[in-house]
Amino acid sequence: MKLLFVNNDGGGFADYVNVHEGMTVEQFFKDQMPGRKPEDYLIRVNRQPVPRDHLLQENDRVTITPTKIEGAA
Amino acid sequence: MNDKELVHIADRVREALSQLRKSRYLECTRQLNLFAFRLQDLTCDSRKLGLAITRGWLAASEQCCTSIDRYLNEIPYAASKLQTLLDRRQKEVPTLSTMVEELKAVQAEFEDVAFNAEESALCVVTEPITLEDIYLGRFRILLDLDRLGELYQKVSYYIVAIDPHPAANDEAITHPHVSNEVLCEGDGSAAIRAALEEGRLSDFFSMVRSILSTYNPDSPYVSLANWEGVACYDCGYVMDDESSYSCSYCGNAVCDSCSRVCANCGEIVCGECVSRCEVCDRSLCPECAKTKCSECESVCCESCLSDGLCPECKEEKENNDEEHESETTDENTDTTTPQTTALG
Repeated sequence: MKLLFVNNDGGGFADYVNVHEGMTVEQFFKDQMPGRKPEDYLIRVNRQPVPRDHLLQENDRVTITPTKIEGAA
Repeated sequence: MNDKELVHIADRVREALSQLRKSRYLECTRQLNLFAFRLQDLTCDSRKLGLAITRGWLAASEQCCTSIDRYLNEIPYAASKLQTLLDRRQKEVPTLSTMVEELKAVQAEFEDVAFNAEESALCVVTEPITLEDIYLGRFRILLDLDRLGELYQKVSYYIVAIDPHPAANDEAITHPHVSNEVLCEGDGSAAIRAALEEGRLSDFFSMVRSILSTYNPDSPYVSLANWEGVACYDCGYVMDDESSYSCSYCGNAVCDSCSRVCANCGEIVCGECVSRCEVCDRSLCPECAKTKCSECESVCCESCLSDGLCPECKEEKENNDEEHESETTDENTDTTTPQTTALG
């Protein structure tokens, strides 16, 4: 199934990705953000916070936003 | 904000995003012109170089080579800037209902969301921010919708400290990464721009909040270690660590105007530790102030002392010596003068 994945880590791109049916948000995060900790991110599905075992649906929009971003001077 | 207001704001945002699309093309044209000018300059200098070589003008040839080298360095930068602009895929302006959803998401994420019609700005307020035990307070993130359409040329949002706790030495710096209400986005720059271009307002506000809640010690306007500043021991002026001096004797911090330099050894001393030469009034450190006139014991710098005496004692001694000398001379004269004896 196809999802819109908005990754605000780094370049902040938004793109469609294909995932298998019955994928949870937790699994999706592990696949898309390897080596990253979920507690360092705001994870939203269709702009709403969801539990980690939330099952993703066709055409969902998943947004991952880091809670710590380093500014500069 | 009620539904009617949300629709009104959503419509304003969509207008700004339409303007932004046009603005992107204008910026592309501007960058393309700059690039073309550079190429023209290069062609022109290349022609000049050929002419200079033909005529044997070596100095002119060298000058042409220097400017060609400069253009060659500038061209890749201009090309990459242009390429970045052209590479940005054309973003569709979100529908009105999508924008309303975005605004609702902003409301769900932030407690205090408001639209300032006068400034045409969508504002959210962060929770109080404390970084490394330094309280910085709450910040208002103000997205100027009139400027959103000019994102490629101007700053489109501002960070206003609501209860400011600025750096001690600069009131314009209200956060280690905010100066004059402008945030230096650092690592968040590309993602923030992408969010604004696509009208993802909730992502935009969340990312700005994430930057405000994070301290990057490698690149702050003022480091948190120096946030509170250092007070001058003498006058109380608060300065940053780099512009303070330390008294060589007591170690107290002093500002530039209160620091004294010992006239003898050059050590820096504070107002508490400084002594003065009683003759020339120059500053002396406690060690050098031990040099005293051997006669009157007044504190004297080395340049005012002569044979261990201050100028006054020296003069007095010389006068005494002269007097003593003349007295001795007189006495000698008296003893050598023949005595007249009355005869008969």
